[in-house]
Amino acid sequence: MLSTLILIPLVGALVLCLWPGKLESKTAKLISGAALAFTLGWVGLLATQFELATPGFQFEELLPWVEPLGLSYRLGLDGLSLPLLVVNSLLGLVAIYITDPKLHRVRLYYVLLLVINSAVAGAFLAANLLLFFIFYELELIPLYLLIAIWGGARRGYAATKFLIYTALSGVLILGAFLGLVWLSGNTSFDYDSGLAAALPLAQQVTLLVALLVGFGIKVPLFPFHTWLPDAHVEASTPVSVLLAGVLLKLGTYGVVRFGLGLLPDAWMALAPWMATWAVVSVLYGSLAAIAQTDMKKMVAYSSIGHMGYVLLAAAASTPLSIVATVFQMISHGLISALLFLLVGVVYKATGTRDLTVLRGLLNPERGLPFVGSMMILGVMASAGIPGMVGFISEFLVFRGSFLIFPVQTLLCMVGSGLTAVYFLLLVNRAFFGRLAIAPPTSTPQIDLVLPQVSWRDRVPALGLAALIVAFGLQPNWLARWSEHITLVLHEPYQGFVQARTQFAPARPPATLADALAADTALIAPTLTLPLPTASVPVDP
Amino acid sequence: MLSESVGITQFFVETSWLLPVYGLIGALLSLPWSTGLVRRTGPRPAVYLNIAMTLLAFGHGLLAFRGIWNQGPQELLFSWFDFADLHLTLALDISVLNLGVLELIAGLSLLAQVFALGYLEKDWALARFYGLMGFFEAAMSGLVLSGSLFVSYSLLEMLTLSTYLLVGFWYAQPLVVTAARDAFLTKRIGDVLLLMGVVALASLAGSLSFNNLYEWVKVEGLSPAMATLLGLALIAGPIGKCAQFPLHLWLDEAMEGPNPASILRNSVVVTCGAYVLIRLQPIVVLSPVALGTLIVIGTVTAIGASLVALAQVDLKRTFSYSTSAYLGLVFIAVGTEWPGVAFTLLLTHAVAKALIFMAVGSIITTTNCQNLTELGGLGGKMPATTLAYVTGALGMVGVLPLGCFWGLRMGADFLSGDYPVLAGVFFVVNGLTALNLTRVFRLVFLGNSQPKTRRAPEVPWPMAVPMVTLTVVTLLVPLIMAKLTLLPPWEYINPPVTALMLVSGWVGVAAGSRVSLSKSLARSLNRPLRIAQDLLAYDFYTERLYDKTVVAAVSSLARLSNWFDQYVVDGLVNGVGLASLFGGEGLKYSASGQSQLYLLTIITGVGLLGIFMTWTLW
Repeated sequence: MLSTLILIPLVGALVLCLWPGKLESKTAKLISGAALAFTLGWVGLLATQFELATPGFQFEELLPWVEPLGLSYRLGLDGLSLPLLVVNSLLGLVAIYITDPKLHRVRLYYVLLLVINSAVAGAFLAANLLLFFIFYELELIPLYLLIAIWGGARRGYAATKFLIYTALSGVLILGAFLGLVWLSGNTSFDYDSGLAAALPLAQQVTLLVALLVGFGIKVPLFPFHTWLPDAHVEASTPVSVLLAGVLLKLGTYGVVRFGLGLLPDAWMALAPWMATWAVVSVLYGSLAAIAQTDMKKMVAYSSIGHMGYVLLAAAASTPLSIVATVFQMISHGLISALLFLLVGVVYKATGTRDLTVLRGLLNPERGLPFVGSMMILGVMASAGIPGMVGFISEFLVFRGSFLIFPVQTLLCMVGSGLTAVYFLLLVNRAFFGRLAIAPPTSTPQIDLVLPQVSWRDRVPALGLAALIVAFGLQPNWLARWSEHITLVLHEPYQGFVQARTQFAPARPPATLADALAADTALIAPTLTLPLPTASVPVDP
Repeated sequence: MLSESVGITQFFVETSWLLPVYGLIGALLSLPWSTGLVRRTGPRPAVYLNIAMTLLAFGHGLLAFRGIWNQGPQELLFSWFDFADLHLTLALDISVLNLGVLELIAGLSLLAQVFALGYLEKDWALARFYGLMGFFEAAMSGLVLSGSLFVSYSLLEMLTLSTYLLVGFWYAQPLVVTAARDAFLTKRIGDVLLLMGVVALASLAGSLSFNNLYEWVKVEGLSPAMATLLGLALIAGPIGKCAQFPLHLWLDEAMEGPNPASILRNSVVVTCGAYVLIRLQPIVVLSPVALGTLIVIGTVTAIGASLVALAQVDLKRTFSYSTSAYLGLVFIAVGTEWPGVAFTLLLTHAVAKALIFMAVGSIITTTNCQNLTELGGLGGKMPATTLAYVTGALGMVGVLPLGCFWGLRMGADFLSGDYPVLAGVFFVVNGLTALNLTRVFRLVFLGNSQPKTRRAPEVPWPMAVPMVTLTVVTLLVPLIMAKLTLLPPWEYINPPVTALMLVSGWVGVAAGSRVSLSKSLARSLNRPLRIAQDLLAYDFYTERLYDKTVVAAVSSLARLSNWFDQYVVDGLVNGVGLASLFGGEGLKYSASGQSQLYLLTIITGVGLLGIFMTWTLW
């Protein structure tokens, strides 16, 4: 069942490799699109079979591989990985759809895209630490090539930077995994939440720091983030969409799955630091975004800010904040994909992304009104306007983390305000005003007519926008998958959450119906009303 | 028969969740025209669809109002999102008051939309405008019905968004660009602070429905510091929305938007912000500091904005400042825990201000000008507009027993006992507003014709009909209030306060008709007077103050982090890269090919290693 998700893109890649004669761009697009459409359908099929109430992995597959090493081919699907797999297939499809048909070296390009898709699916599915690491590294080389071959002017620099950073991230993660398994005296690298239970705190903390830095590079978090703006600016639009929408999520997924899930003691010890780190990352990313004049760079820095919320929510480790990490990952995936897509269209139509020369693109006849309207929708979603998925994810992050880290949460909200500042600057500069692609002058540019965006090119943007609005109006569609996994992940943290809960605890549900509705929540609020102090014995 | 009619009424009450949805449907239905999919028909179908939807909302609201009047308030609950300890419900409070305000919003929206048909007749983006108006109306209707802080917050944000889009309607104009930006960002500051309060309340109280919050407030002993922070956060949202100091700049700039939207913005949008504040009052009461802040902010805005309005030469801006001033009075009323005063003021002000803005719209349509120094002599030429302006002006201030007179009188009456100074604020605002209205009347309608007002026919019927309708409504406001038993009985009217209110109004009128007005010299020749005039005309230089403080701070912080990113973080990374490259380059010279050197290197290395490993034995 699950291997299909990894194999189908690989089969597609193989077909492309072995395609006889000259491979037309159209054929390649069709084949790779079909492969990813099939995986998307397959994930949908899995979702219908997915049992919401079963904790732990489902559809497990186990194939012994290198047993002496403890490496086995073990796959599993749970509420954390399922939404991310959907996004992976969806954005893969979008990336293929929007690829420039006049691309050179068609065969290699599509093969690489498919390999990335397969590797990312494998990483999300892996239930063995070494297997995860293999997939994590596997995705690195194709992406390096995609940036280095089809990138912009400074693609060599950006690609190499990306490679070095991510390789370093891989080394740290591998080190942490090896340390974790060997120190705990295990022989198998299979994922098991009790893996680190016997380890002393100092060792756990060391391992967690290695993991956090490793995944922090990928997320990326300040100060390990500088590869991201460069990579985005140099990468072509489809690659940017994939990079922001899916590949960054490998970092946050790793933090939640392996940090939060495997090293609870160390996690609790470091949680306040992580929350503070998240604040620094959010504010730094947002402030840096304000100063950017390249649209793409601005969106890239906004990613740094928005991924910081995931760390804050993960640090708080309440059931709500854990589901908020899933929400934020999905919402950022969809929104940033939409924004990069639109920036790509603007770049294609105008030849520039410079906010000091672009203006008035909303012009109804000669400009890009569709792109402008979608851009307004995208930036508003990113700024957390209700009715779109960005709002509910931010609300869940803040609401889930507030009682645990009030100060950090409030500071992160400032970051949410700053999002409005830089994105509004973007829209106001590039889309409002009188149409021109030149620094402001007194004489208007009247001979400028930008090419209209065809309906074919509008489809992906419309689709993403529809999803952003749909999940914003009906967040249950997203939350239902992850309910049980968040409770499982939260289980070791009950005591921590209760002890750290500031102010008075939430009141128990008033009626029986409410109580029944809420009983899945393992955070049973203590029935004794106001807690006297912050240090309360753990309520089993 | 009777039970059947009760059943039908009940049906209208139970489906009152549709009331906000109508506007939204209108907005969605106009999409084909506003996106340019349908061009053949022109934008008019979208216009009619939206007007029909608003009419539907108005009619439905009226029926539901009658039902509620007889049955008492009801609550509609829809579970929206449940997860762990978070329960978000969409709660609607269907009460006489809420439905009454909704009727006001729907009615004014209807009139403004018909008015816009004339005002924006030749605008190419008419469909987009009506779509936005539908969205605007939907957000406001939802806001007044909302029974949960979560819904209210969400809709406030929607209002922020739709204000941004409506102010930015003519987005090609440079002033509009900055106005839209400032409107969004200023409100957003308030909204983010409010969000902090909402998140805190959600975490602490566990529920965000207003009724549960009121219960929670009674039993929960919050620490004073916490209560203060919470209270301040909660009032921040309404401060931004109601254009109160220090977040008041946007309303003035928002006057760059189309006038029909300004009609709503100055009447019911600010009312919505105040409405949320009134709903939050039982929670804000926990903190005396927050209440005090409300009073101080209200007082500062009421007096300051009344003064600033006097020095404006822009027809729309001068009245937008007066909106801020009246909302300041509302803030005082909420801060002193007189919500009844706040309601009466809000509703009467909304009607009168909407009428004044309609008259303003007529003047702008006819003369293509909103500069007071270029207007004059319109009195005889535009009779309906003149009548509308005079009625609106009389309804705004306490000189005749029309709408706002009753609100102002009530406020002054209630406050005169405990806070005589604040009652004084009501008199001062009344006097200053009367002065300003008289000044504008003289400048616009009296005097000689100017080049732009020489040929000034009355406006066409799509504008005249709503204007005249609203004129009649404004005149009828006291009667409607009497019918809804909102007027005090005779024995409760405090004669000295009432007399003082009338006196302050008439003094203002007298001063306004005496003060010397020069059109050719808008700025006085007298230096001290000119300085004072400039101070007021530029709104006490608040904008420059913000440029120098908040804006400068954020932009320099942004530049600092960008610099840090480029030179420190990236510099370090590139430095490591360079160092390793140079290191490699340097080391390659050590490969000389002499075996002696290699031997020496090996022996030294092994020796050092040996020393290092046996270090502890020594």
